[in-house]
Amino acid sequence: MDEMSFSRSAGLSVGVELELQLVRPHDLDLSRDAADLLSRLGRRKLPGAVKPEITESMIELNSSVHTGCSALLAELEAMRAAVVQEAGVLNLRISGGGSHPFHDWAERRIFPNERFRFIVERYGYLAKQFTVFGQHIHVGCPGGDEAVYLTHMLTRYVPHFIALSAASPFYQGEDTSFQSSRLTAVSAFPLAGHMPFVADWAQFTDYFARMRQFGIVASMKDFYWDIRPKPEYGTIEIRVCDTPLTVRRAALLAGYAQALAAHHLAERSLQPARAVYLVNSYNRFEACRFGIGGDLVEPYSGVRKKIGQDILESIAKVAPHAAQLDCREALEELAAAVRVGQTDAGWLRGRHAARGSLADVVRDACARWEKDA
Amino acid sequence: MKLDFLPELPFALSQPVLFGALLVLGLAAGEAARRYAALPRITGYVLAGVLLGPEATNLLSADALLDARLLVDLSIGLIVFELGFRLDFAWLRRNRWLLVTALAESAFCFAALYATLSWFGFRPLLAAAAAAIGTATSPAVVMVVAHELRAEGQVTERMLLFTAVNSMAAYLALTLLLPFLYFEQASAWQDALLHPLYLLAGSVLAGLVGCLLLLRLAAWIGQREEGQFVLLVAAVVLTVGAAHSLNLSVLLALLTLGMLARNLDRAHVLLPLRFGHGGQLFFVVLFVLTGASLEFASLATAAAVAVAFIVMRFLGKALALLAFGRLSGIRPGGAGLLAIALLPMSGLAVVMVQDTALFYPSFGRELADVVLAAVVVLELAGPLATQFALRRAGEARPDG
Repeated sequence: MDEMSFSRSAGLSVGVELELQLVRPHDLDLSRDAADLLSRLGRRKLPGAVKPEITESMIELNSSVHTGCSALLAELEAMRAAVVQEAGVLNLRISGGGSHPFHDWAERRIFPNERFRFIVERYGYLAKQFTVFGQHIHVGCPGGDEAVYLTHMLTRYVPHFIALSAASPFYQGEDTSFQSSRLTAVSAFPLAGHMPFVADWAQFTDYFARMRQFGIVASMKDFYWDIRPKPEYGTIEIRVCDTPLTVRRAALLAGYAQALAAHHLAERSLQPARAVYLVNSYNRFEACRFGIGGDLVEPYSGVRKKIGQDILESIAKVAPHAAQLDCREALEELAAAVRVGQTDAGWLRGRHAARGSLADVVRDACARWEKDA
Repeated sequence: MKLDFLPELPFALSQPVLFGALLVLGLAAGEAARRYAALPRITGYVLAGVLLGPEATNLLSADALLDARLLVDLSIGLIVFELGFRLDFAWLRRNRWLLVTALAESAFCFAALYATLSWFGFRPLLAAAAAAIGTATSPAVVMVVAHELRAEGQVTERMLLFTAVNSMAAYLALTLLLPFLYFEQASAWQDALLHPLYLLAGSVLAGLVGCLLLLRLAAWIGQREEGQFVLLVAAVVLTVGAAHSLNLSVLLALLTLGMLARNLDRAHVLLPLRFGHGGQLFFVVLFVLTGASLEFASLATAAAVAVAFIVMRFLGKALALLAFGRLSGIRPGGAGLLAIALLPMSGLAVVMVQDTALFYPSFGRELADVVLAAVVVLELAGPLATQFALRRAGEARPDG
């Protein structure tokens, strides 16, 4: 079972994938020029990679593997600039954010390639509704057992990542009242959720083998879990973040994931507990609905507190490791924003209140992504 | 029993009855073209017009067509306004090659047509006027076909952009020929200079005034979709009316109105433009009336010229697009499809001929003989070409 042999990767290395919105300027709706944009980008020398996504209105930036988040930010910055420039030639605008505020999902067209066609065949309208934009963070693990351990440990922080990245308050032309409405689109898939409660990599490969034998999955790609091991890269992949409105925030989130992983792998003070999964969906909902202002039940102690408060405490807890990883400043920046209650979802709602139309929200979000430095 | 409450026979066909009948027939023919022949709806509208027109049943007589000119102007006005509204100066600034390509497309096409017509022995002024009119792609056809197919993508966007540019170039060239026409007719040189100046400056000014009014009122009304819709229609109708009564160019005034409305709206007070079903009404009217004014007789007399005109017009456009298309960032294969998409000639060409004929009947007659034969062919073949190109480019919706 080649696919399941866990590749070696530099421990605690970090990389991100960012799904971006392609917007046409004349009505600020999603465009469908992914193929043209990708072919232009294909002819440029770029760090990382740029790839198609499920519908023709999205592209995905993949960073390369980094040891610290300032190098990651520099690379994302270079990719952002290149994408914005090429998009300009085609009269497209680029935006971050977890959802397009008012596009009509039925208008979307599937990017013509075999995997995406399969997904449409299989999942029907869910595939087009999947035109939402997420950030995936990869953290390198020394081996499969560590990947399983880390997946269990980081599940406790899923609400943090949701709340810190939340940038999809509007969906299908309405204010959803959520901070992140995007994850609802993911939850509809049958293989969404979380990794089963396995103890180590051997148990995990057994589980995978059975699922494959049942014919339920063909590869790891078929699991749409919040956090999943990615043996091919030797990483675990956190998949709950909305794409932030700036590459800077994307790099900060990656730094936070890296510091959390460093802390847990170094200290090993906690063991995986079923209690984490007992409170998981409640915490997850609170984070999607209320963001950093939501409640969270701490699974090990049973204490209830605000998600923002829990984030600040955990940032303080991992700070020593952050210093070694060159992401201390990143965490301070994240913490400062939490203290004043600043989030991307809040920014988007602010623009809507100030301008009065969702088209203006999109225009401002594009300007923010394009100008980001 | 006198029954004198009944109307007298034969029934007098009132204007509303004629107008309603025109709509119903156009709509039915469009639907039939779509369902039974997989043709664009436009082709159906045009055929309905031919049936109603002087060449067939004469229900729409030549006089009636002259009366309907305001309707045609309104429809064209609405369409070129929307076209202008899509023209983004920022795109041309970012992508200079795009501007070069657009200008080359017009210039090459004009040159190819002028050379061809000169070769056929037409005198320079006539050749130049006909070449100018031929430079324009029909805004109405490309807009309507793009709407109908719900096409979006790079070929569609560029098709609309180049159409806006070549329509403007065509009008500009034709207007700049006016002094020569005056000289040919031995008129006063003051007239020769002032008339084109009046047309160009006046039309642009009308567009500018309309635009400022529109932006002011839109800022005051706020971002309410219903309110802005009424406002847009009002601005378009007002500007068309003003251009009409001031003997200005509806095309230039409305194109200016659209372009400025988009590009001067720094504060983004205007909502994205959606004419929706209201626009469809004008499309039907426009194409039925255009169909009715087609002159098939010219086809017989000028067949060879018409064929050369159409072929060289296409080659001129294609050459420019193939030469500069890649530099402007279009995908391989896109330039050829774009050249095909830009083929249509229609109501705009007819209007330009009519306008020239208004002042110079004899010259207008000569011009009509050269241009209108090509219009007859492209009126029917053009929509098909555009439809083919957009489908082939993969930019039409599969169910569109």
